[in-house]
Amino acid sequence: MMSITPDQVRAEIRRFWQIMCGKAPDRLEDLYSPSALVLTGKARKPEEANAALLRRARQISPNSDSSADLGAVEVQIPDPGVAIASYTYKFHQTRPGERGSVEKRHTLYGRATQIFQQDARGALRIVHEHLSAATNPELERRGS
Amino acid sequence: MHMEPITSERVRRAVQDFWDAFTHQAKNRFQELYSPTAVCFAADGRRSEAARLMWVRREREFFGPKSSVGAKLGAVSVQILGPNLASASYGFHFSIIRILPNGSRVEVEVPFGRATQVFECEPDGRMLIIHEHLSSAEPVTAKEIREVSPARA
Repeated sequence: MMSITPDQVRAEIRRFWQIMCGKAPDRLEDLYSPSALVLTGKARKPEEANAALLRRARQISPNSDSSADLGAVEVQIPDPGVAIASYTYKFHQTRPGERGSVEKRHTLYGRATQIFQQDARGALRIVHEHLSAATNPELERRGS
Repeated sequence: MHMEPITSERVRRAVQDFWDAFTHQAKNRFQELYSPTAVCFAADGRRSEAARLMWVRREREFFGPKSSVGAKLGAVSVQILGPNLASASYGFHFSIIRILPNGSRVEVEVPFGRATQVFECEPDGRMLIIHEHLSSAEPVTAKEIREVSPARA
């Protein structure tokens, strides 16, 4: 199997954020290994990706005005089949709030670690993800 | 040279070594646990930094006589990524007194710290951190410690 390249990793990361912004028809879970672990949001410890992805899928609104601006993506390839991506991001997410309201969350200092591994067919899958923010997201609420 | 394969047990031991070095403020031992080119996200950093820069900052903030570091670890999940490569992820409770760049001392409690550390096993058997991401699940507030001047006789 060929070694992972930084360009392949960056392409997967672009795909991930397009899905997160509701701008791609792909399913988020297709990007992950079934055994992936994630640390994200307010979770206090690592959890299986399936549980976190179900929550995340509910927050994605297709055709919303969500947007993400990524900083430079640094890629470490310590093994031909494994890549570690680290980068910062700003994420402006429009998502359904309580009682039909709409929430807009602005994550201004997001930080991401995503570890990719080639599966048996050579496709990249996220096996570990840690998303966090250096400051609290800013929140706007609009009524229904 | 026959290399011992990486195992969950070895990774958990390496995580324990890391926190032993950190909480005992063992500067040299702490630095030896990282590859100099490791990419590190500090819990409150807005961007990643190379390990060699992080050492200088942590030495100033955490390893002086007026600083202190305490930590309690949760269960460590290990993912074996290759024959010499594994990641560890876990929650931890972090209690520190750190020195800020302006010289003031602050006390910080991080009850819901989270860590991802990727370890690579070197040909000589040492386990080195090549990537680290620390964060907090909840907002963290720092409490300034007022220095009390000794009363005049």
